[in-house]
Amino acid sequence: MPQDLRTLRKQKRVSVNKLSSRSGISIATLIQYEKGEREIPPADLGRLARVLYVDEWDINPRSSPPPTPERKSREALPSRPEGKPKGRKKPRPQSPPARNTQIAHLLTLAKRFGIDRPALEEEIGKSLDDLTREEARHWNGHFMRRVAEERPPRRAIDRKRAYLPEGVDGFELAYLQKQQEAGAPVHFTLFDGRTFEGAVVGFSPYHIVIREPGGDELTLNKLAIAYYRKAGDASGGAA
Amino acid sequence: MSLGDELRYLRAFHGGGNMQDIEDEMGLERGTLRYMEQRYRRVGEDDDVLAKIADYYGVSLEKLQWHRERYRKALSAYLHRAMEEETSVRLDLRTGETMAGRVRWWDLGAFGLELEEGEPLTVVQRHAVLDWEGAGQIEGGDQP
Repeated sequence: MPQDLRTLRKQKRVSVNKLSSRSGISIATLIQYEKGEREIPPADLGRLARVLYVDEWDINPRSSPPPTPERKSREALPSRPEGKPKGRKKPRPQSPPARNTQIAHLLTLAKRFGIDRPALEEEIGKSLDDLTREEARHWNGHFMRRVAEERPPRRAIDRKRAYLPEGVDGFELAYLQKQQEAGAPVHFTLFDGRTFEGAVVGFSPYHIVIREPGGDELTLNKLAIAYYRKAGDASGGAA
Repeated sequence: MSLGDELRYLRAFHGGGNMQDIEDEMGLERGTLRYMEQRYRRVGEDDDVLAKIADYYGVSLEKLQWHRERYRKALSAYLHRAMEEETSVRLDLRTGETMAGRVRWWDLGAFGLELEEGEPLTVVQRHAVLDWEGAGQIEGGDQP
């Protein structure tokens, strides 16, 4: 009889943290599985079963939601002490004086717009020495927004390729993907001069799997491949 | 062909052993061989280390030094420049063939070469390139 993931995990004395690191499934996802908020997909079922040393069918794909702790009823709570007026907010404390760093930042920002200290004080309507922390925050925000508005828009990057293609093998994989989808035969030449021809049926950064005309599948190690091209194309410049 | 690619070949041809075991047998510090096989920049500056490797694989020191000058980034620079300037490249392959054509793209492991105008691409594995025009003489070849 399948059991909920949480029950099984508790039985096996495995923490969520450990289950996550062993299965490769994030803690957040595991918690969702345990709470029954998400159904466990077959792939994750297999991973969890392996980690917990159970069969996949021992785990209930959709856990039943955990029992919620009973809430104390309002009546049971002690009543609000009388005397304190209900709904009256606590008076806000007076904001402390602005920090020196806030003032310095404000002056720097203002300087970008050609505003010196007297002009700034005039705009604010009070001396910087009398500025509170909250007011300083407000004025810093005001100037930061002005800076953002006046900044020239970023140039759209029209990069056709990665900056350092050594970091990616996307072009070759895209080429192989295209050949795989087309199902057209590709001609491979290996280092030792041997040649193979077949449709690409799979590939990885290290291997290419082809299906030869006879139907046999062959895995070619990329390290052994010198070059390849669509079958039927002339060898061109190779001498 | 870069020194790293050559070392990968030599290791493969000698049974594809575990890198750490080979390093121990060569008397090299752990990680030396891995570093040399994987780096894209010029590696193998220490001739004493190269001599140990050459001795282990039964090849000449000069051969490894020759490959040292043909590091991967130098080939990248050559391909990149040719692609940008739309000039033709000429490459000697390990198969003994010479290929010439326009580079249409290049990446981590291979590059697409158009041998004749308008013809479908030939995808050449970078490690198959033994030599190219100007190899070993490229200045600033480490940053295309």
